[in-house]
Amino acid sequence: MDATIPCLDAVWQVARLAAGEGQEPEDLVQETYLRAYAAFGSYRGGDMRAWLATICLNVARSQARRRRRRLWEVPGGSLLDALPGSSAERADGAADVADVVIAGLDADEVARCLSLLPEPQRMCIVMMDVAGYTAREAAEVLGCPRGTVLARVHRGRRKLAQLLAEAGVSHGQP
Amino acid sequence: MDNHDRLLSAFLAGDLSLEAARRWDEHLLECERCWRAVREDWAGKQAAQLMRQPVPSGLADRVAFAVEVASAERSVEAPQAIPLASPRHGRHATRRSWRLAAAGLTVASVAAGLIVALVPGGHETTGLPAAVAAVARYAQAIPAPARGSHWNPRVPAAPIEVGRPARVVVGGQRIVLRTWRLGGAEAVVAVSGRPFSRPARARGVSGMGMAWTARVGRLDMYCLNGRTSELVAASVPAAELAALAARLPTG
Repeated sequence: MDATIPCLDAVWQVARLAAGEGQEPEDLVQETYLRAYAAFGSYRGGDMRAWLATICLNVARSQARRRRRRLWEVPGGSLLDALPGSSAERADGAADVADVVIAGLDADEVARCLSLLPEPQRMCIVMMDVAGYTAREAAEVLGCPRGTVLARVHRGRRKLAQLLAEAGVSHGQP
Repeated sequence: MDNHDRLLSAFLAGDLSLEAARRWDEHLLECERCWRAVREDWAGKQAAQLMRQPVPSGLADRVAFAVEVASAERSVEAPQAIPLASPRHGRHATRRSWRLAAAGLTVASVAAGLIVALVPGGHETTGLPAAVAAVARYAQAIPAPARGSHWNPRVPAAPIEVGRPARVVVGGQRIVLRTWRLGGAEAVVAVSGRPFSRPARARGVSGMGMAWTARVGRLDMYCLNGRTSELVAASVPAAELAALAARLPTG
C-alpha cells in the first residue's frame, strides 16, 4: 500500500480536471482516498493508480449527479462547430496548426479549449497527457479497449491543437 | 477510423514494429495529411501537458489526516465490523499498510510545516463526538509549551499563523483547522458551518448560549456554536480560553 503515496500526484491531476462546478479538487482527492480506504478490503491487487483514478472519477460523477448537472458539460455551443472544416481541407495557404499552437500556448486558453472537447476525448487526454497514465491504465479506468483510448487521445489532441490555433489566430497571434 | 488512421495511431503509440515504423517514417515524408496529423497530435499533447499542476503542499497532510480520522471513527463505531485479521484478504495487514501509507504521506510533508497526529490510540479522545475528537487529535500534535512559557493575555501582539490551514471532513462535517501562536500559547482553531456536538463530559459556559468547554488530555477546548461554529483547543486554562479565542481570527 505504500504504492498509494506516489499516486497522489496522478489522482490530483485527474481530480483537478474532473471536478465539476462547485467541486473542490482537494475535496475530491480526500474523498477518493477515504473511499479507497473504506474499500481496501475488496481491492484485488492490480494497478493502484488506475484503481484510485476510477474511484476519483466515480466520486466526481456521483457528486455532479447529486447536483443535477452533467459532468463535463460544455458551456454554450462548441467552438468546434465553428471551425472551417478539417485541417486537411485547410491545408492550402493556411498556417501550420502545430506552429500556431506552440507559438501561443497559454494555460487558461488550453483549459478553455480542453473543456470544449467531447468528454471521451477529454478524459483520455486528461488521463494520459495530464495525469501521466499509460494507455493501458487509462483503458482500465475508462472501461474501453486500449486501441480506443489511443484513437480518442489522438483525435482529442488534434482537435485541441486546432481549437488553440483558431483561438490564437483570432487573438492576432502568428 | 480506417486502417490508415489505425496505423497512424499505432505509430504514435509506438506500437509498430521497427520495419513498419521505418515505412511510416518514409510515408510521412510524402504524405501531407499524415504529417499534419502527427504535428497536430504532438502540439495537442504539448498543450495538454501545460495543464499539469503540482500537488498543493498541504494536500498530503490533509489526506493522511482524513484517513486517520476515518480509521479512528471506524474502530470506535463498529469494532466488530473490522476484524483484526482476515484469512482471505489479510485485512489487518492492508489496514496497517494504509496507516503506514498515511504516515508516509505525513512524513513526506512534515517539511511543509504541518504537524498531524497520525497514530491512533494514546490520545484521550475516546467517547468524544467524532468532529471534536478529530480536532483534539490534531491539536495534540502541537508541542507542549516550553517550560516557563505560558499564555499571557496581556501580551498585545497580533496572532501569527503557524503552518497552513488543513481541511477535513468528519462524519460529513467540513472543518477548517488553523494553528495560531499568540501571547506564549499555540492554539488550534477549528471552524465549521455545523455545530460541534457537545461531549458528555463538557461543561456549559454560563451566559454564552451554546458554548461549552471540555478538558481532553493536556488540552482545554472551548466551543462557541452558532451560524459558524468555532472550536478552540490549546494548553491554556479553561477560564482563559474564551479570552484567547476572542483574539484569534476565525475566517
